[in-house]
Amino acid sequence: MHLDDLDRRIVAELSHDARVSNRQIAADLGVGEATIRTRLRRLQSHNLIQFTALTDFRMVGSPTLVLFGIHCEPARVSRLAIELAELEALNCVMVLLGRFNVLATGLFTSMTDVDEVKRQQISKLKGVRHIETIVSIQQFKYDFRMARIVRPVAASAAGGRRGPRSRPVESAS
Amino acid sequence: MKLRRARASAPGLDEIDTRIIEILRSNGRATNQEIAKKLCLSAPTVSARIRRLEESKSLRVVAVTDFSAHGFNILAAVGVKVAGRSPVEVGEDLAKLHEVLSIQTTSGPNDLELLVGSSDLEGLNVFLTKHAASVPGVHELESGIAADILKYEFNVVRL
Repeated sequence: MHLDDLDRRIVAELSHDARVSNRQIAADLGVGEATIRTRLRRLQSHNLIQFTALTDFRMVGSPTLVLFGIHCEPARVSRLAIELAELEALNCVMVLLGRFNVLATGLFTSMTDVDEVKRQQISKLKGVRHIETIVSIQQFKYDFRMARIVRPVAASAAGGRRGPRSRPVESAS
Repeated sequence: MKLRRARASAPGLDEIDTRIIEILRSNGRATNQEIAKKLCLSAPTVSARIRRLEESKSLRVVAVTDFSAHGFNILAAVGVKVAGRSPVEVGEDLAKLHEVLSIQTTSGPNDLELLVGSSDLEGLNVFLTKHAASVPGVHELESGIAADILKYEFNVVRL
């Protein structure tokens, strides 16, 4: 789906603070409130936007990002990726073509925890052959406002309902 | 997990803060009224709590857009080996490239790990063989293309 200039301006405003009201965005951009509502619903139905809470590193003990490059039996890749995504300790799971079969990452406050997740959880999944552990030392570029939005369409659309005046969520058009 | 427990008992956060944050994680645009109703609080209390968390830089509620909304239809995890220059310097140069979405120095075997976004395979090829390759100190590039992303939850960040 193509984002036009108005979509981008709405997104820019919400990227700064997602709790600004539709009315306020409408006033800032000089368009009607209904237009904002329609645009947001369209973006959400295409899984292009979500509104979420970011919390600071220090609140969870300034954790370290650890990457796991996982090699597994070829026929197990898809299933393994699903099983990995179910592990609470991992925050990112992607099937990779080249390098590893699956790349997964997690935030950890101790190397003991890393070892435990690697040995007690990842290694025990069927088909896993070898795991490369890569510890992030210093991150110097990351834009948390961009991500792969993997939520199902229905949940994503419900996420944007606004207050008592919101209308029932319509199906993606 | 350890992390989950740590979150619940984070310094300065009580049970109510934690529950407000949980609701905002799944729907950042839930109104104060909606949150208040779920937690049996008043809307002004919820509003004050959120403001306090935001002011102490513990919380931010933002819109997150999909990579594809920015024209990045292809993502690749790229490992970089550096020679003749410090990895941090090379990383700083690579970070200036528009296609580099995240970059970090690592414990190895590669000196740097990047997440790269591109509109298509041709664009990725140009990025790797022309743009990234021409940064002084880039010795070796190893790339894996993301065929499927099942989970992507980076909601604990440096605010």
